[in-house]
Amino acid sequence: MNESILFLTTFIVYIISAFFYFSFLFSKRENLARVGFKLAFSGLLIHTLALLWRTFESGHAPFTNMYESLSFFAWSSILAYVIIEFKYKIRKAGPYFMLIVIALMALASSPLMSKEATPLVPALQSYWLWLHVSVTLLGEAFFALAFITSIMYLVADSREKKGKGIKSKLTSEKLDSISYRCIAIGFPLFTLGGLVFGMIWAYKAWGRYWGWDPKETWSLITWFVFALYLHTRIIMGWKGRRSAYVAVIGFLAAIFTYFGVNYFLAGLHSYL
Amino acid sequence: MKSLLKSFSSVKLAIVLLIIITIASVVGTLIPQQRSLSEYVARYGQLANLFNRFQLTKLYQSWWFISLLFLLTLNILICTLTRFPSKLRKALQPKLIKERKNILVLKIKDSFRKNWSLVKTKEELKKELSSRHYRLKEEVKENKAFFLARKRTLGLFGVDFVHLGILIILAGGIISGLGGFRKNLTFSEGEVLDIPEAEFKLRLDKFETEYYPDGSVRDWKSTLTVIENGKLHLSKTIEVNHPLSYKGFVFYQSSYGWDWTNPSVEIWVKKRKDPSFLRKIEMKVGERMRLEGENIQISVLHFIPDFVINERNEITTRSLEPNNPAAFIEGWEGDEKILSGWIFSKFPDFARIRSEKETDLFFELKNFKASQFSVIQAAKDPGVNFIWVGCTFLMIGLAFAFYWPTREIKIILEEIQGKTEIIAGGIASKNREALQSEFEKITDSLRRLR
Repeated sequence: MNESILFLTTFIVYIISAFFYFSFLFSKRENLARVGFKLAFSGLLIHTLALLWRTFESGHAPFTNMYESLSFFAWSSILAYVIIEFKYKIRKAGPYFMLIVIALMALASSPLMSKEATPLVPALQSYWLWLHVSVTLLGEAFFALAFITSIMYLVADSREKKGKGIKSKLTSEKLDSISYRCIAIGFPLFTLGGLVFGMIWAYKAWGRYWGWDPKETWSLITWFVFALYLHTRIIMGWKGRRSAYVAVIGFLAAIFTYFGVNYFLAGLHSYL
Repeated sequence: MKSLLKSFSSVKLAIVLLIIITIASVVGTLIPQQRSLSEYVARYGQLANLFNRFQLTKLYQSWWFISLLFLLTLNILICTLTRFPSKLRKALQPKLIKERKNILVLKIKDSFRKNWSLVKTKEELKKELSSRHYRLKEEVKENKAFFLARKRTLGLFGVDFVHLGILIILAGGIISGLGGFRKNLTFSEGEVLDIPEAEFKLRLDKFETEYYPDGSVRDWKSTLTVIENGKLHLSKTIEVNHPLSYKGFVFYQSSYGWDWTNPSVEIWVKKRKDPSFLRKIEMKVGERMRLEGENIQISVLHFIPDFVINERNEITTRSLEPNNPAAFIEGWEGDEKILSGWIFSKFPDFARIRSEKETDLFFELKNFKASQFSVIQAAKDPGVNFIWVGCTFLMIGLAFAFYWPTREIKIILEEIQGKTEIIAGGIASKNREALQSEFEKITDSLRRLR
């Protein structure tokens, strides 16, 4: 028994969960979705165990390289999904969201990612590592949910316009509102973890709270896009399609901040 | 003037500014910032001049980017100020709805009749609402009563806290930019340096690099002493993430380096046919030393921390890190050079020794010593406290706005022939679903009451 077996078990449980969710999508049998949800939740528990195991084994936070961070992002995504599913019942989003989680897990387990737990470089030896990364990724998990529900909205909306509306409890209007709720939860988290904690840590480690480093700038860009989402929606009354497009752009910006910056742009924030 | 004020109080302007600033920020990450002109010319050719003219190469410090930030600041300030009075009025002196049609247009609404008198209905309603922490404002007029129940009034001001926080952060940024100061100081052990713009000196007592068992760096530690007016004030060992603060200055472990001007090496001399033979010699580069019990003198001519042979076939160092330490040694018998060549500490079998005379000796570069210097960043940032205050406002505001939204329930009661009609509607600034479910619980429990 070790961390990689737990990780693999989690991965398999997520895949089976997605399988049940998709069977629900095609057969419309609610109990299949219920099984899918229970599996996703069990996966979350095993995943938690895997992350704890990794923490004890390596002696540091379980998100210091790409493998760990992807696995943690998948974990926070499932956590966000469980919370939103519990509050708003968005079963139909389940199958699509599980696809994102599986993609993250697959990327994490790809042979390109080093699974080795390496000792922490000096800059990462700080409790701000825990606060900064975990809160930011949890915020981004809610953005991921907003992304999925926004895309589902766009599809549902164009179907309803063509008069092909499927009878479903999850109407396009509800999708639109859930997407907004996810952003309303994720935005304060992202602000706290990504920007505020990031600035505090940068000040402690690098001696300045802001330096227009690509990673910093891109997290600000992401923040701007979601600030635009909120202002256009709350003040100017944008809803539906236009709002959904902004939410999609916001998530893409968040993903670029997370992966893209490290691969395409050089900067100080080179660990991850 | 008035129209200018009006355009600055518009959210549309804020949105346009946000879009432009966002796009500019993206551009700034695509063009590497603050490089030399020749680098831009090599990279972009003709475009380099254009970039230079529009200050795209130091975009975030350019006059136009800072002007955009300034306009946004003004916009936020005016938006907040022009909206604040009416919001305050709304919070302190809320208006009651007196027309039932104004309740019936709300998204959350309900109306039903109870066999109660107006007085009894009022009493039950108050009991139910205050048990859910609503505060009530009421007015009675003949057979009618008007209620406004509200909770989490602070949620109304969440967005103002957010904007205030952003303004404080921007102010902090300006103060940092104008009054801030940052400089790297390079210290050798024992060295005392003046701190620019400060009335004290700093001494590096000790610098050490700690390693993990696998050889990677665990930490850099510098022990610093503050010397003020010739007196030693305090000593602190700083490391990455743990700077020293003194009188508005903060000192960070920023970097380090090796001083390769005067290294010393440790060489082990062995004999191939006699495994028990071992002589350890330690000497500085340039020194010559007699090997004990043997008729040979050893000298070290060169030491290279990161040995490499470049494309012109020259021996040089790849970096200033001791990644591949190598020493060039010579062996002398009296005036006669009998051997010479390179030995490598990481590749002992790779030694390239040319012997003029048959010898059984072989050499291993076991260790080396060189002094290290520590680079300490001295920073003074008068804006930083504004940033933390601003961030606190920002987060409190976001928490109020998104996690603690104001809920309002407006009610009209009308008694007709001993029965009372209840017309109620709910308004939530955010998270309408949550209010909806609370609203339903309230109306359900009133309906069920006998």
